[in-house]
Amino acid sequence: MIDSFPWEGIWSDLGEEISTFWTFGPGEDGSRTGTYVMTVLGVALMLIALGAFVWLEQRKLAAQQALLRAAGGFPAPGGVPPGPGPSQPPLAGPATDPGD
Amino acid sequence: MALAADLVVLAQATAEELEGSLSLDSFVLAEQFYFFTVVIMWLIHAGFMAYEAGAARRKNIMSTAMKNILTIAVVTPSFYYFGWYIYGCFEQGGPGLPGVSNGSFLGGAGHNGPAALEGFCGLTAPWSDAMGPNLQDHISAVFFLAFLLFSWTTASIMSGALIERIRLSAYLLLAVLLGSGVWIMDAAWGWSAGGWLTTRFGFHDAIASAVVHGVAGAFTLGVLLNLGPRIGKYDMAGRARTFRGHNTHLTLMGLMLIFTGFYGFYAACLVIQSTTFPGWLNIYLSPTTLGSIAFVITVGFAGGFTGGWFASRGDPFWTLSGGLAGVIAVSAGADVYHPSLAYLLAASGGMLAVYAGTWIERRLRLDDAVGAVAVHGVCGFYGVFLVGIFAGGYPTGVNNVETSFGGQLMGMMAFLPLGFLPGFIAAWILKKLNLLRVPPEVELEGLDMAEFQQDFFPEFERVPETVVLPDGEEVDSAAILLEAYSQLHNGHGERGAVAARPGDERRSP
Repeated sequence: MIDSFPWEGIWSDLGEEISTFWTFGPGEDGSRTGTYVMTVLGVALMLIALGAFVWLEQRKLAAQQALLRAAGGFPAPGGVPPGPGPSQPPLAGPATDPGD
Repeated sequence: MALAADLVVLAQATAEELEGSLSLDSFVLAEQFYFFTVVIMWLIHAGFMAYEAGAARRKNIMSTAMKNILTIAVVTPSFYYFGWYIYGCFEQGGPGLPGVSNGSFLGGAGHNGPAALEGFCGLTAPWSDAMGPNLQDHISAVFFLAFLLFSWTTASIMSGALIERIRLSAYLLLAVLLGSGVWIMDAAWGWSAGGWLTTRFGFHDAIASAVVHGVAGAFTLGVLLNLGPRIGKYDMAGRARTFRGHNTHLTLMGLMLIFTGFYGFYAACLVIQSTTFPGWLNIYLSPTTLGSIAFVITVGFAGGFTGGWFASRGDPFWTLSGGLAGVIAVSAGADVYHPSLAYLLAASGGMLAVYAGTWIERRLRLDDAVGAVAVHGVCGFYGVFLVGIFAGGYPTGVNNVETSFGGQLMGMMAFLPLGFLPGFIAAWILKKLNLLRVPPEVELEGLDMAEFQQDFFPEFERVPETVVLPDGEEVDSAAILLEAYSQLHNGHGERGAVAARPGDERRSP
């Protein structure tokens, strides 16, 4: 284990001479309220976005699944499996009807 | 006398000014160095996108590419808010405790209160002065960015293995966990000057064989065990079929971009600032040179391509993947290896990736679409293992702890569960919530229609989708996929397993 960061003096000296023009930064009086508020807002946006990715995709997938089942291309769960060969309209895109 | 004194004062002031100017120039040069490594490392992600999109079937191209793009959208903020802090403050295993400065497994540098701002730990909190515009600090921001690019890379390693059936959102959640939590935790432990694996055991993984690649591979393995294979991947006898990627040229170009970006990755793993350090240092602050690691990576590609070519009997995909595996196998010791040694070891790594990938696909029956577990996981840990053999005794870190096989083994034992368990548990939870995998109908139709409601090659007629059977014959896949779907819904066999051709299950042993 290192007892102290070998160049700690350099790092801490830099930390004490911070520019004060940073938007929502610490400021001359050392207040960090703006920094903390922006951090909380950023974390909130990140978490909301992650949840929204899940929610939006769930909607898309459920809608497409229902559409495909309604179109008759797939047997309902527990239904009769199709026989050998591409007896249904193409599932994965390849057109099998020469007139299509 | 007065004039002489004035001249002395003037000379002193000039010397101080020169010293200040030299120091500033050096910091700015270091800032530029890391900045350009970041620029070069973007190519890794352009490469991952092309690599994986090329390996996907036509119906899944955009959903595959979008995973790589949105990796940046989710890993960047999560690494900024949490990941960087983990790297700075978890060197001793866990977060520092208030009032405890050092000395215990959980007693890191501390993170609550003013004392936390001392040292590197305090600079890594998202509200740190070092994380914003700061005229006095030319290093922290670009150093953070270099690590951020490492995080994207780590998450992207997982993405290719899961393509064509994982939900985009599930992948993004897993990417956050891996890119901003798991890998950076192991980096704090064994890829920093103050990490407990470094300072106590001399663990040596200079360019992150296991720290990035091995752990990402272990995490991916945990996810794959829950995710399952693509529908139709295996027949009822458990034999693997092969899905043709829609564009192998695109895949190979992606790999070449990744290789180019790796030079930036390797360079960014070094430390340089001439008025603070005596020269180039590795991540443990041990001396090395930029030329030596660039030499090893280049020779590593050569050896890896060679090993991959012969082990796969000239398969294009595995030849290039062998190059990547070769480099990964020599990364851990890239700062100390002789080029000839690196060439030999990389060749063995390229061969190992092919054999491991085949074994994982055919024996473990895991559908790893791009061989990520073999190339990154197996060869990542192999690289750390090799250092224990070929670089034993080399002093690591500022404490000059000798590298040893035992120390390397300690790192592997720490990293394997650290990578595997979070991936397995998180994927298991998502699976139980039915949020891990797309519905089978969507998988068969193709993810692009569900996710984006469009075909991304509208001007080209779709040709029949094919699959390569275990005996090498390439056939129309429609019937096979439909039967797999039906069996899935009727409770026959596992997802992904279906007769080689309709009717074949009756002939299977």
